[in-house]
Amino acid sequence: MKQSFLGISIMLLGLFVCFSSGAAFAAEDTVCIQCHSGQEGRLAEPVELWRTSIHAANGISCNDCHGGDPTDFAMAMSPERGFIGAPSYTEVPDFCGRCHVGVKEDYLASAHGKALDAGGAQCVICHGNHAVKAASIDLINKESCSRCHDYERAARVKEEISSTETTLTKLEQAVASLHRLGIDTKRLEDSLFASRNSFRRIFHTVNMDKIKAQKAEVADKLQGTKAAIADYESILGKRKLAGGVVVLLLLLGGAIALLIRRSYHDEE
Amino acid sequence: MKLQKGVMDWLDSRLGVREIMHANMGGYLLPRNINIWYTLGAVLLAMFGLQFLTGILLLIFYVPDTEKAFTSVTAIMNSIPYGWLIRYLHVVGSNLIIVLLLLHMLSVLFMGSYKRPRELTWLSGFIIFNLGLAFCLTGYLLPWSQLSFWATTVATDAAGAVPVVGDFLVEFLRGGPSVGAPTLGRFFALHVMGLPMLFLGLVGFHLFCVRRIGISSPPFGDGYRPLEPARSFHHDEHPGGVPFHPNYTIKDLSMVFFVLAALVAITFYAPWLFIPPDALEPADPFTTPAHIKPEWYFLWAYQTLKIFPSKLLGLASQGAAMGFLAVLPFLDRSPERRPAKRPVFVTLYLLGILLFVGLSIWGHYS
Repeated sequence: MKQSFLGISIMLLGLFVCFSSGAAFAAEDTVCIQCHSGQEGRLAEPVELWRTSIHAANGISCNDCHGGDPTDFAMAMSPERGFIGAPSYTEVPDFCGRCHVGVKEDYLASAHGKALDAGGAQCVICHGNHAVKAASIDLINKESCSRCHDYERAARVKEEISSTETTLTKLEQAVASLHRLGIDTKRLEDSLFASRNSFRRIFHTVNMDKIKAQKAEVADKLQGTKAAIADYESILGKRKLAGGVVVLLLLLGGAIALLIRRSYHDEE
Repeated sequence: MKLQKGVMDWLDSRLGVREIMHANMGGYLLPRNINIWYTLGAVLLAMFGLQFLTGILLLIFYVPDTEKAFTSVTAIMNSIPYGWLIRYLHVVGSNLIIVLLLLHMLSVLFMGSYKRPRELTWLSGFIIFNLGLAFCLTGYLLPWSQLSFWATTVATDAAGAVPVVGDFLVEFLRGGPSVGAPTLGRFFALHVMGLPMLFLGLVGFHLFCVRRIGISSPPFGDGYRPLEPARSFHHDEHPGGVPFHPNYTIKDLSMVFFVLAALVAITFYAPWLFIPPDALEPADPFTTPAHIKPEWYFLWAYQTLKIFPSKLLGLASQGAAMGFLAVLPFLDRSPERRPAKRPVFVTLYLLGILLFVGLSIWGHYS
């Protein structure tokens, strides 16, 4: 009886993946996704694009931007439930800026923002609409920028901020490695997140002086994080050294025990 | 030295301890051709001891509360002096124990040591193996991580496939309709009290069987001949054999050292081998992590369930396989133990290992 109970217990664990694939993020459960997934052409397109987006990866669903009631098929697109549909070209910065408040502020102060009414690039031109791309230095590239203007100045901006981007990426990887080893990295992650956000604000300006000043500010903030990471890495290095010594001692102990055993063997 | 002799004299005059020690140490003779596989029992005892020790130390700081469990484990790893070492030894040790239990069972199967009169030794060992897995299953939930929560949710959900009592079983295992505080409470109680008590009793019984019946001779060499089992109780003597102590205990000790070296090496250099990334995030009942896989020793079961079209059929097939292994000594009644004279068994044995490994790899990559 005990045997079969335990047997079943063992097998039960194996099942969880079978069903975990069936479970999904809450963002996938909205009536918007259910209805649009079943349609064809341009009405179905947003769902597939959204699934590849940074929004989907972070559980931001249709209703978070477009409003409406994601639990009620009949009222999903009712203005009474806050549905606002798609914004016009010039409304896009306000549309995205409801969440990305600081970014909107930077954008409006930038050359792109100032030229908005004259057809200047707004958020979705660079970041995409439903397949929203994460803010990254890679968004500044010849192919994208050259659609509207010469790439030369954008290239200079990119070059100026590349080293900070590289540093940030390396520090993020180092923190991820520390986290993987069970180290509580929340404080470091928060600090890097804040630095990353400050750094991203540079992306929306083309004023080189402003970029240099803000870059120096970010670099200053990163020094503390770098030092903290170095401290952890030093501790881990010492741990490995101590572990190596213990392993060697244990191997030595095992070898000595085997030698003693051999001496008994000769007597036998 | 004088004090030691005095204590021994005192104990000997009252309990006859010298006679007991001689009978079980220097006077206890083992087969001359005893091999290294026989050390696995001692190695496992050492590892069990380490698990108990590290487990007790973890208990001092662990808080079995859904609001505090993850934080307490984080504190053990980051704030408590050497807490990270204690926890990693416990986690890595549990995985190594499963490896060692599997090797112990495989060596016993290969050498036919499970056969009459050692049916009870095998059965108690097999239950110990299952208890080892139950320890892992219950211990998995305690950190209250994403992995803990979702693994337990789906594992307990599968009990619903059992006909008639399925729903009752799910609720019984969870202590409610879903995984929550009552589940953590009962898994914790099982992990630190229920299972250890059962485990200690079974290990004691297993060792009693081993000592009472006597160590089996390795079925190798020209001198080995299969014996027709005696009809009445018979202790397997090995006249002219090797004294258990110190001749064999020193070999046990060397293997304990080598396995501890492996344990420490993994603990210091690659503890992440047994800790998936989802185990580092606190449980979130509203977010199901993608790509979760069970631990390596459950992968074969996971993949088997994927192969079968229904949950019940999958569970039944696994139950049948485990049941078959449990009662194997009662089915395989031939006294022959030499592998070379048991081609059918050895073929099935190898196929079984290949199936286990193959299903596990398949499960890992599927």
